[in-house]
Amino acid sequence: MIARRLGKVNERVFYGVLGFVGLALVWEITANLGLYRRSLLSHPTAIWRAAVTDFGNGSIFPHIALSLQEFAIGFFVSLIVAIPLGLAIGWFRRVDYATSALLAALNATPNVALIPLIVLIAGIGLESKVIVVFLSAFFAVMVTTSAGVQSIARRHLEITRSFGGSQWLAFRTVALPSTLPFILSGIRIGAGRALVGVVAAEFLSSNQGLGFYLGFFGQLLDTSRLMLGIVLFGIFGVVIGELLRVVERRFEVWRPDIHA
Amino acid sequence: MSGDLALSARGVQMEYRDRGTGKRLLAIEKVDLDIADGAFVSLLGPSGCGKSTFLKIVNGLILATAGEIKLRRVAKGREDAMVFQDASLFPWYSVLDNVAYGLVCAGVPRKEARVRAAPYIELVGLQGFADKYPYQLSGGMQQRANLARALAVDSAILLMDEPFAALDAQTREVMQAELLRIWNAARKTVLFVTHQIDEAVYLSDRVVVMAARPGRVVADITIDLPRPRKLEVKRTPEFAAYEEQIWRLIQRDRVPSAVEQAP
Repeated sequence: MIARRLGKVNERVFYGVLGFVGLALVWEITANLGLYRRSLLSHPTAIWRAAVTDFGNGSIFPHIALSLQEFAIGFFVSLIVAIPLGLAIGWFRRVDYATSALLAALNATPNVALIPLIVLIAGIGLESKVIVVFLSAFFAVMVTTSAGVQSIARRHLEITRSFGGSQWLAFRTVALPSTLPFILSGIRIGAGRALVGVVAAEFLSSNQGLGFYLGFFGQLLDTSRLMLGIVLFGIFGVVIGELLRVVERRFEVWRPDIHA
Repeated sequence: MSGDLALSARGVQMEYRDRGTGKRLLAIEKVDLDIADGAFVSLLGPSGCGKSTFLKIVNGLILATAGEIKLRRVAKGREDAMVFQDASLFPWYSVLDNVAYGLVCAGVPRKEARVRAAPYIELVGLQGFADKYPYQLSGGMQQRANLARALAVDSAILLMDEPFAALDAQTREVMQAELLRIWNAARKTVLFVTHQIDEAVYLSDRVVVMAARPGRVVADITIDLPRPRKLEVKRTPEFAAYEEQIWRLIQRDRVPSAVEQAP
């Protein structure tokens, strides 16, 4: 069984890499055939050269480090606020009533529109980026969490009541585990939004970070470095996705679809 | 009232207000019921006769609008425990943790609850499955776990809400025979809700027949078949006579449908 699962994983990796290599090849060949202006789209070997240069002399590391830091702090804070709040909104009807209209209005405002205001208040340093990242991830995590609590099977809650268990016991033993899949998918969606937040905030006002890096070189028409920045964000997104997959497997031994 | 009653219900009534029309509906009308300690009693009736509602009132999941229910007091733990229609096992718990859950609800520490639950897994024939998850069990095995969870709290009375209704016919018969074996071993009072006549006759000392609109008791029939009962008893004329008698009672009280009323 282990061998078969390993086989499946290898197959996934193999074809995944194959897809990337195929795309890079097509990109490289069409660029060399002169089907479009290379200065506009760059091509894989030029991006590779840019990567070797900027990683070689270390000039790209501060940008990566700052973006990671903004992402990590903003996302972490949003999780520790959004998950408990989502649980409370889902569990207590009155908390839901009290907050739903307010939060819906806040959620409907595109938070990119708030960036100028946030920069005005918090400056162009780390703080403003963290706030943007926080806001970007917050609603996705909170809304999925509260929706998860509200979709708990009634028959499961009835078990605790039938055997005389307390509400607090029902919350811990029924609400939390049955909401966990929702929380995890909220985290997944939130991570994507947080990454968008990093790019958007660094784009608009920054002098460092990966978003700044690709915006800056874009303006200089250095498309190889612009593309390098995009690729790094892509890799970042994939790595986070894979980490979350590991966490999901770890938590959900009881879900048959995950074993399949 | 004598001391050896496991359950005594007087004038239990359940009234709803219909959301559409605003009319008052009587789901259960003045049900009186006494169950002797150690007896196996079935509540039998068509859907809508309030038999499951009555069971939930006894369990405390629903509050009756009138009447009184007394359960025999037990030294510690709960007076009653429910076996649900759908097994309602928690998919995130192993079989052992599911079976221990009733005890956890009663405030027993999880570790001790597991120790106390383990023998009941054996009793219901699930040895070797303690560490499995519900999705790894068949429907019949899930109902065994469901039963073990209720047995583990060691209540005075076991409330069973059509626990075999979702099983296929063969599995249902196996589970009926198994239930009698377990009942014989655990010596519990059972109040068993079903809409199947043969199931009620086969299992019970008494079959309490209910009718719908409003839900009420129309007959209380003592089943005088020798125990222990094997499944073969279902093929005997005495068994058939009980089935016939109850079937007639239910036919008599049935509300004719619109189609049947047409000339």
